[in-house]
Amino acid sequence: MIDRLRRVLRVARWETARAGGGVDRRTLLAALALLLVVGSVVGGGLAAGVVGLDVDRDVYRVAVEDGSSYAEAVETAPALTAVPVEGASLGTSADLIVRDVRGVPADGGGSNGESTVVGVVVSASDTEKGEAAAAEFREAVEAHNERLMAAEENETAAFPIAVTLRYVSRTSGVDGGATLGGGGSSDGAEGDGGSGGGGTSDDATGGGDEGDATGTAADGGESDDTDLAVPSIAGGTFGAATVGSPGSISPPFPFVSLLLAFVFLVPMNFLIQAYGSSILDERTNRRGEPLLVTPLSPVEIVAGKTLPYVALAAAVTTLIALAVGGGPLSVVAVFPVALAFLGATFVGAMFARSFKELTFVTVGVSVLLTTYAFVPAIFTNVTPVALVSPLTLVVFDLQGEAVSAGDVLFATTPMSIGAGLLFALGLGVYREEDMFTQKPVGRKFLDALAVRLAPVGGDAHRGRGAGARGRLRALAPVALLTACAIPFVFVAELMAVALLFALPVTVSIPVLLVTIAFIEEVAKSVHLYAGFERGVFARTDRVAVAVGAASAVGFFLAEKATAVVQAVGLTELYVGRAAFGSVAGVGGLSVPVLVALAFAPLALHGVATAVTAVGASRGRTRYVLTLALATLLHAAYNFAVVSVHG
Amino acid sequence: MIEVAGLRKTYGEFAAVVDSTFSVGEGEVFGIVGPNGAGKTTTLKVLSGLVEPTDGEVTVAGFDSDDPEMRRRLGFLPEESPLYEEMTPRSYLGFFADLYDVPSDVADERIESALDRLQLDHRERRLGDMSKGMKRKVAIARSLVNDPDVLVYDEPASGLDPVTTDSVLQFTRELREAGKTVVFSAHNLYHVESVCDRVVVMNEGRIVARGSVDGIRERHGETTYHVFSDVAPSRTDALAELADDDVGDLADGRAGESDDATALTVEVGDRFRTAVPTMAAVEAVRDAVTAAGGEVVDIRTREPSLEDVFLDIVGRPMPGRYTVGTSDGSADEETSERTANDPEGAE
Repeated sequence: MIDRLRRVLRVARWETARAGGGVDRRTLLAALALLLVVGSVVGGGLAAGVVGLDVDRDVYRVAVEDGSSYAEAVETAPALTAVPVEGASLGTSADLIVRDVRGVPADGGGSNGESTVVGVVVSASDTEKGEAAAAEFREAVEAHNERLMAAEENETAAFPIAVTLRYVSRTSGVDGGATLGGGGSSDGAEGDGGSGGGGTSDDATGGGDEGDATGTAADGGESDDTDLAVPSIAGGTFGAATVGSPGSISPPFPFVSLLLAFVFLVPMNFLIQAYGSSILDERTNRRGEPLLVTPLSPVEIVAGKTLPYVALAAAVTTLIALAVGGGPLSVVAVFPVALAFLGATFVGAMFARSFKELTFVTVGVSVLLTTYAFVPAIFTNVTPVALVSPLTLVVFDLQGEAVSAGDVLFATTPMSIGAGLLFALGLGVYREEDMFTQKPVGRKFLDALAVRLAPVGGDAHRGRGAGARGRLRALAPVALLTACAIPFVFVAELMAVALLFALPVTVSIPVLLVTIAFIEEVAKSVHLYAGFERGVFARTDRVAVAVGAASAVGFFLAEKATAVVQAVGLTELYVGRAAFGSVAGVGGLSVPVLVALAFAPLALHGVATAVTAVGASRGRTRYVLTLALATLLHAAYNFAVVSVHG
Repeated sequence: MIEVAGLRKTYGEFAAVVDSTFSVGEGEVFGIVGPNGAGKTTTLKVLSGLVEPTDGEVTVAGFDSDDPEMRRRLGFLPEESPLYEEMTPRSYLGFFADLYDVPSDVADERIESALDRLQLDHRERRLGDMSKGMKRKVAIARSLVNDPDVLVYDEPASGLDPVTTDSVLQFTRELREAGKTVVFSAHNLYHVESVCDRVVVMNEGRIVARGSVDGIRERHGETTYHVFSDVAPSRTDALAELADDDVGDLADGRAGESDDATALTVEVGDRFRTAVPTMAAVEAVRDAVTAAGGEVVDIRTREPSLEDVFLDIVGRPMPGRYTVGTSDGSADEETSERTANDPEGAE
């Protein structure tokens, strides 16, 4: 074991030296300089986003009295800077002048009749900058009011809610209007020195029924005088359109954390370019042939060549985690993603015939894995679907939220196993007979699968391992290969769930059920097709049924592993139940029914895969047709299960 | 040192090597010759452990061909010289020595020694900037970094200029003197003839002849008699009969170019040369020359080259006697009357 590790490290050391030697010093320096510039720009941008650095700081000068209620709003707005109102003139020393209007209110202004602020006059210079300053001032006042209300202990008073109930007849249907809501509007241009706008009360009559208006007017009056009214100036200076920057957007998802999590994925794209090129370089002009004659095994060679890139990915991930404030959880979460990037690239580089094809492979890998990692993470705070992606753990980590060990396992295990299986798939063709041939990617894929199978049936295999035990031994790799496909099936199905769950159920469920049926039927049969095409299996119906049954058993047993989805509550979603229905909600059923339900999938898989295997034994066209037939059969079964489960 | 018994290698329906059996002794230089697609390279790859045989047994230095220990005792030179072009000869050879667990001081010594013997001076130049001959020398040096007992060379002088070729062949002879076992294939039969102790001739995946170069020549080649005369021999029935049998092709392939001579005669300077296969034919030519008013000025014999033998065995569909291999390796002296281009029949 130690010898093996030492050999791997030797290859890794030389791979590092080679990779470094492939770039001359000047190019390396230029690349480093470019990286530094890009890093500075990106880092600066991120820092700005994190610490709130605004490039438009102190752009507009607002003349406002020190004691004015608006002074604090101006001071807290980054784009505004307060200047003394005395001597201020529009266009020269100020872009905006805010003057309080004082007077004695109509009710006498209190017991002593003192003058108080009864209004405000905002003057803006008649220029584009003046208009922009006015718009910024309006936003600043609104934001100030929001802050004050958010700080208010009595939230009901701060955020009054008006509910309008409207009764409608059962026969009349529901109109398209809103049935809830009717937000309180804050108007406050009354110049009363800070009366928050009350909620509006709408009377609504239900069609035909007694329209009982129960709208409540949550009065925001009696608010203290620090609650500013938003000024309104005739002439439309403050129009409906407001000026804002991306920094003022408050989307309903953890924007900053997501953005920072995405940064983890960026270096992967560069990494797989270098790694893919290195692997393909071994295959170009048979350059790697001498390595295959050394005492090293293909596993040691590939491990040695991959190790520097894995180490680099780990180092970069750790550095990014440190830079953006992530912890070990971020590194643990991103590491399987890096492995998946490298594993998929390895397979692609083993299958690609040229650097041109490799480019398509790396772009495909990048898009697919980035989508898989990023899209579900958008819903981090919304739904358990988000845990499909390891990047969600990064978002949680950056938000300082705790996650359970189950969550970590659920989010990282499929990708980790998938990465391992991808490496195993590529290793199948890491031998002289396959790695230097110029076969199309599809045929290489079939070769990689076929090399893992054992001969079944036919004259060539008669007498070898004869008897039931021999036949079982020959069928075992079929079941094993199917079982190995489960992580990919799982990932593909999770991906389908993540992409479809936002759609209306009437659309998402049928599409999902057919998609899942197709994914599973392909997973159960593609290696059978490879076996027949490469002459590993004899082309007889008997052999087809046997390998089909073996594949079904392998799938049935491995599928039970998907029960892990319950651990994270994915089956609480309707689409989650549809996708993973077999492991969800079977409580309350009798034992015979439970047994029947448990083995029904086996019967389904057995029949469907045998049909596809018979098609595969008769050529590509028949395989495609029987695959479609099996998909429809499987989808029909899925519909039935969903109907039963509800 | 090498034992191959009943080797068969198929790719799908295609049989690259069929029922191949031979053995190579220690310190022997063993050649495998044959036309393109004969199975030479596949055989060498099986010997080096690169390709797994479909059937049969292969042992090298006492180890199975898939045993990593066998690879420690073997140096392989593929037909092309694919190198890591960003490396220098020293770093490249150092890398492979490292993979074979050769201590660095020993590796340095071996590398310098091999490069000295191969007369490669540019040891710190990038391999990508080197000529094909230089790269070939580096590849040969690579096959020696682990000080192997067995060397498997596939077309070692392929595509090299005559000077480099001669250098490579001389190096192969030195390896034999150093006690190494060398198996190599070549298209250029002169190369095989000049360095090999024994050869096998392969055609369409089968061994169709085997033995020492002299032995094969003796069995398969025929001595040609060149009769030089001052006038071209007149046409006689006896010479016409020889011409019909295409015997002239055995001489130099230029028969029939001279209108003044028989189909067996070519004009060489101020003399005429007539090539015939037997002494009886020589007498017939002498008579014909005399009848034409001239005289025979010289008679020489020409021994067949391995190339002649090769063409005889695999190049033409003519009946002949040749040895065939059997699974027990005892067929060296067996003969067959079937055509060499009929491998099925040859078996």
